[in-house]
Amino acid sequence: MTAITSDAPATRQAIPFVLLAQVILIANSFIMLYPVVVMVLSAFKTTGEIFEHPFALPDFTQVQNFAKVLGETAMPVYFVNSILVTGTSIVLILVLGTMAGYAVARYESRTNTFILLFFLAGLMLPLKLAVIPLFILLRDLGLLDSRWSLIVTYTAIGLPSTVFIMAGFLRTLPSELEDAARIDGASEPRIMWSVMLPLARPPMAIAAIQNAVPIWNDFFFPLVFIQTDARKTLPQGLTTFMGEYTTDWGMLFAGLTIAAAPITLLYIALSRQFIQGMTAGAVK
Amino acid sequence: MQASRQQPRSLKHQLWVAFLVVPPIVFMSLFVVYPILSAFAYAFYDWQGLARGEFVGLKNFREVLFGATMAPVVWNAFLHNVYALIALMIIQNGGGFFLAWLLYKEPFGFRFHRIAVFVPVVLSTIIVGFLWKLFLNPNFGIINQALYSVGLDSWAKPWLGDSSTALGALILANAWHFVGFPALVYLAGMQRIPPEIIEAARLDGTNEWQLLKNVVWPLVAPSTTILFTLLFIGAFNWFEIPYVMVGLDGSPFGSTDVLGLVFYRTAFGNQSASIQNFGMGSALATLLFLFIVVFASMLTLWLRRREIQF
Amino acid sequence: MKLTRRILMAAAAGSFLLSGTAAMAQTELTFWSWRQEDKAFYQDIIKKFQAKEPGITVKFETYAPENYQTILSTALAAGRGPDVIQARAYGNLETIATSGYLLALDQQNVPELANFPEAALAAETLRSNGKVYAVPFAMQAQLVVYNKKIFKDNGLNPPKTWDEMMALAQALKAKNINPFSNGTATAWQNETIVGGLLSSMLGKEFEADIVSGKANFTDPRFVSALAKLKDISQYFAPNFIGVDYPSSQQLFVAGRAAMFAGGSYEVANFKNQNPTLDLGVFPAPVLKAGDQALIATYYDGGYAVNAKSEKKDAALKFVRFLATPEYGTAFTNTLKNLSPIKGIKIEDPITQDVAKLAENSMSYLMLVRFRYQEPSGSVLLQSNVQKMLAGQQTPEQAAAEINKGIATYYKPFQK
Repeated sequence: MTAITSDAPATRQAIPFVLLAQVILIANSFIMLYPVVVMVLSAFKTTGEIFEHPFALPDFTQVQNFAKVLGETAMPVYFVNSILVTGTSIVLILVLGTMAGYAVARYESRTNTFILLFFLAGLMLPLKLAVIPLFILLRDLGLLDSRWSLIVTYTAIGLPSTVFIMAGFLRTLPSELEDAARIDGASEPRIMWSVMLPLARPPMAIAAIQNAVPIWNDFFFPLVFIQTDARKTLPQGLTTFMGEYTTDWGMLFAGLTIAAAPITLLYIALSRQFIQGMTAGAVK
Repeated sequence: MQASRQQPRSLKHQLWVAFLVVPPIVFMSLFVVYPILSAFAYAFYDWQGLARGEFVGLKNFREVLFGATMAPVVWNAFLHNVYALIALMIIQNGGGFFLAWLLYKEPFGFRFHRIAVFVPVVLSTIIVGFLWKLFLNPNFGIINQALYSVGLDSWAKPWLGDSSTALGALILANAWHFVGFPALVYLAGMQRIPPEIIEAARLDGTNEWQLLKNVVWPLVAPSTTILFTLLFIGAFNWFEIPYVMVGLDGSPFGSTDVLGLVFYRTAFGNQSASIQNFGMGSALATLLFLFIVVFASMLTLWLRRREIQF
Repeated sequence: MKLTRRILMAAAAGSFLLSGTAAMAQTELTFWSWRQEDKAFYQDIIKKFQAKEPGITVKFETYAPENYQTILSTALAAGRGPDVIQARAYGNLETIATSGYLLALDQQNVPELANFPEAALAAETLRSNGKVYAVPFAMQAQLVVYNKKIFKDNGLNPPKTWDEMMALAQALKAKNINPFSNGTATAWQNETIVGGLLSSMLGKEFEADIVSGKANFTDPRFVSALAKLKDISQYFAPNFIGVDYPSSQQLFVAGRAAMFAGGSYEVANFKNQNPTLDLGVFPAPVLKAGDQALIATYYDGGYAVNAKSEKKDAALKFVRFLATPEYGTAFTNTLKNLSPIKGIKIEDPITQDVAKLAENSMSYLMLVRFRYQEPSGSVLLQSNVQKMLAGQQTPEQAAAEINKGIATYYKPFQK
């Protein structure tokens, strides 16, 4: 099946190498996963138990930390906000990104290079550094302290890479498809909507995941744009939460666990799509 | 391959194309280009507190680069960004490369290991920062507790409070967070290498190390280019992990200060400082931005050329 | 797909609604604060105010202290921000007041200013025009908080002199009790420790000499006080250079340490977290018996009115309410912080103790006098003391660094 199994018996150093590889991989996976496991286990303990028995298995029926986080803090509100913001941003990114990508990929124009360069520049500009004028702009648009302030910001940040992903894919579609539809008298919007876009679902999924993870996890823009507690997103709300319960480690770990759970579980269920999506920008 | 390109250039068609292209461009111009140009402009003005004063030319830039107060802080932070870049290049990208090679061979359980290495990547940096801050607590964190329990008491340290270990701890937390990313990008790169090439090298009696060094490494050069460029940009925009783990001051005594923290402190102030200066903050942001663009482009060009040679 | 679309549309509609529904006949004021832990108290006060002024409602929002300045200043710079602002004092106040974001207060628009002592108003005054911009809300003190039970169990009394303090700390350590829970990993902790432990050794005269320029920070009084601090740091929390502020609070609250050098504002907080704690306070120990024992005091901040607010009248009404003795009494007795308003009856015994100690006090020096310019005295003190306690520089070096930084802008040192 692989290179190693086919010729392993031939060389002598191959067997220890396989062993060594196993040891390294297992050690690495342990390092990657154990902190997450400790986080979850500690969430079931009281602060005293965490300090006295950091490595012991907890009594899993002790869910009072979770009950407190979900019942007494605004964490559920933050969670809903994160879903709304991430979801709306992704829809906008896909709509706008597909529009530009489609035009660049399927219609020849002298301006195409300019458009691509324009978006390429957008890919390199760290918008974080322009947060002050962005803030003033959002104020003038009346978007400040609303979820829309985040949605438009994230859309602007995610747009360039999506244009490239969509253009790159749409360009590979054979022109015969279009031509056939055109001969049948279909309009351009009709061709785009009914012929081409149904084929473009895989890159859309990639673009969606590639953008969704950083948007879901972002902390900087909500920190500056959102002031009302009821509109905070999960990472921002988490800092508020961590500030309020600094000395109760059981609560801190429960909060971290709850914040980490949705995306981790989703990742485990859809690991192939996640990996493909998140590395899409770097794998050509 | 390419679409046929003899569409009639009717007005209707042009309107259709404009309909597709204009909204995204307007959106980008409004929310990216305009704020960034404004940020550049801010850097040329004097700021009285938060109010814009008069045009002062390059004064803010001079202050940031050579001023008695700002310059030592800026250069100290810059140096830490460079350390982080080098260390992460070795630990994160280098480690990722070796992990990718092990995964590439598809040993027993590789599917599990591939999923495991990427778990931290999907977590929010805020979560990762807080988690490691708790783990690194000198008296109650699991790192020191583990060292005590195996009798390595002398290895236990106040990690984030000791100026000799604090920056290293931040770097390792970052590497833990992101090592899965280069690992899987490299893995994808390796899977693109035609198996015959590796097969042929093996028949020549090349050992594992030579194979890795002389065959695999050059052939994944495109992945290296993009990973190094991304790491470069990331290392000079470093903010979240230090912010969460050591606070805005780059504690202890500036030993973990990085440019991202300096920018935030300068532009928005912090409790213990007095001055909050949008002008100086914007000047720093502009310089940082120019530095990143120029060096990232040079780096990309240089690494690209390296790709072609093979 | 349909469902998600519907959710998204509902979300969009929802957020428009949320940002769109303003008060109709009522005047709704917004009021921002960084005191997250005092939320319940302020909600209560707002209820009382609304009962008095039925036409006005107040919306109270709190932010994490470390982000407060950012959020507030960015909002103000964009011409936004709340109608009523809990602002800090001294240099931090100047940043926003200089830019014209705050409404100047005087006996005309806030007659209740007469209820305040001069020093409190000075903390909220812009030096350049002498105008007051906020109604002060609390005086804070840096001192030593101690666990009475641990002291009693070990037959100890609060120390008067530095030598007594050292002996006491050693006695505790010999019995395997942490003398102090303090750590130095969070930068600003270092400033509170200096205020809590060294004030008596520095003395009022030192402060006067610094102000006049007769002495600077390389003065022997300052250097030797730093050396004493270095000495006593061996009795701080285990691994103290890695112990951050929450961890040191935690140690003390859990009864794992006998003393905590820091702010009087922590007393109520400690009691809330562990009601069984029996706490006391004492001032920084003196060098030799007979010297005056001092604590370091400062004004925390004040309530200000946004100059760009469209509801200034209502905002002033609220701020005037926050300047009444009635409010000051509730503030002092609920939050166990000293209100600067004159003639308040204090119920809580520890707060009474703090009030009595405050009669002999010097300024919390760097905050009160050196947070107006960069590099701020606070930043210099914090990082250099942190460095000194980590054993990376001597007290002389720390003092020299602090002095060098301040001398770049402080005229009396440049002579």
